Amino acid sequence: MPQPLMELFPTSLRHVLEQLPAFVMESLEEIRIRENRPLEISYGSRFSFVREDGTLTDEFRAAYVPSKEQCRALLERVTNHSVYAVEEELRRGYVTVPGGHRIGLAGRTVLDKGLVSHLRDIAGFNVRMARARIGFGAQVLPGLLDFKSRTIRHTLIVSPPQQGKTTLIRDIARCISSGEWCHPGALDWGSRKVGIVDERSEIAASERGVPTFDLGPRCDVLDACPKAEGIMMMLRSLSPEVIVVDEIGRPEDAEALNEAIHAGVRVLATAHASDLSDVFARPVLAKLAADGVFGNYVLLSRVGGKVEHRIVSAEEAVQETSRRYSRTIGATPRDAPWGTALPVASVVTPSPALVTVKARPMPAIRSPDLTAARGNDDD
Amino acid sequence: MMIKFVGILLVLFAGTMIGFVQAARFAARPRQIRQLLHALQRLETEISYGQTPLPEALLRISGMMQQPLTALFATISKSLSIESAGSGETVRECWENAVLAHWPSTAMKNAEKEAMLRLGATLGGSGREDQLKHIRLAMIQLQAEESTARDDQQRYEKLSRSLGMLGAALVVILMV
Repeated sequence: MPQPLMELFPTSLRHVLEQLPAFVMESLEEIRIRENRPLEISYGSRFSFVREDGTLTDEFRAAYVPSKEQCRALLERVTNHSVYAVEEELRRGYVTVPGGHRIGLAGRTVLDKGLVSHLRDIAGFNVRMARARIGFGAQVLPGLLDFKSRTIRHTLIVSPPQQGKTTLIRDIARCISSGEWCHPGALDWGSRKVGIVDERSEIAASERGVPTFDLGPRCDVLDACPKAEGIMMMLRSLSPEVIVVDEIGRPEDAEALNEAIHAGVRVLATAHASDLSDVFARPVLAKLAADGVFGNYVLLSRVGGKVEHRIVSAEEAVQETSRRYSRTIGATPRDAPWGTALPVASVVTPSPALVTVKARPMPAIRSPDLTAARGNDDD
Repeated sequence: MMIKFVGILLVLFAGTMIGFVQAARFAARPRQIRQLLHALQRLETEISYGQTPLPEALLRISGMMQQPLTALFATISKSLSIESAGSGETVRECWENAVLAHWPSTAMKNAEKEAMLRLGATLGGSGREDQLKHIRLAMIQLQAEESTARDDQQRYEKLSRSLGMLGAALVVILMV
């Protein structure tokens, strides 16, 4: 674990965490600290509780229990002793600390006119490690190239949380802005200007405007900027050739993306979804997909400790989902193995299936209009 | 005879000096409280408009203070920054340690110290509105202390100056 992150923890907690076995430290993903409840970590897609001497156990009763004092101290350190300065972040439920690590917070919300205005009595922390994995992008990038216009196709990276979307997008951004296309046919392409709209400060982990991750030489970062506005700002003044955004999902994001695409900019975005059918089920993404905005989908999934990726072109995606939906209409159980059920219509059909997708009821709006506009793309 | 004379002079000098030092303390107290009030006012601005993180805000404040308050705020700010994790974990601890360590070098008394300690216990731990309320509360307390300090100054500053010299004279008379 990086040293600066360690220094955020209050001393007694740090002692426990410093004694974790080395192999755990290597693959540490999350540290979950809950007041008066056992200390949990997750590493290499497994979870475990931690005893006071740093050894791991599956038995939660034997685990170390962080106290109220420690939680208070941790909160103070995470917010740089200034809760008042991170009110906006508290409203969203997480704080990003130097190094790009995101700390999710759980506590009691304070409402103001029906909107979450603040989080108090914070008693749960989820420390998520941010890692630069140089080389990850090199495996994926060759599949995304557009040889005619010598750049990448519009790409949406899709996966459930915690599979490395942000890590991948960061490394691809680095490759593009430094001109490492990782493909024999693209040796003389040169690099491209990359613009990153980093709403959660996770891609670049900027400190005072300067990215702390290596993003290559031709990269501009709009830190902590709302995506929709950020994309427009980029287009207006920073003349990017590729725009990178994280976790799209709100209607205004889609609008801005459309704007970018028609301004001749390539888009690289990520979204939360477990598979393609999920993409077609989320209203905003479904609309983007139906408009044929994306040329590629990258699906990430984790097998064992390794992240596997699969690149699907737009046509294949439409085929695949329509196949699935026609099967769903046939009322097969959801967990039935697919692909065997129906003789697949191999022609790309702008099928009734897609229509059924779009006709899906929108999720119920639970709070007044303002929150609905804000959307639910936070994880 | 010569030695006696020197002794008398020394006693007189010492007594006068004690009186002057005492008087200076009476004069310094309202001045320092005033400075503290300015500091809190600045802190209020930093919190409400700048949303400056506490360590940085305190560092800036320490820049516009005079000794010994400069040292007080600089110490707190330094112990809050993450690199030096030795002197306390929370704002309350750092604040308390620094105030207790630096208070003897100021001319201020217990009432002001209490007000500051109470402020330190809440600083940084809550939302903006709440912080401002606490700071204002501390300022009101300090203002009350300031007016009593001014009264004390008017009443005792000259008194202690002359008392020092007269006391010394009394000692001399008794000894001779």
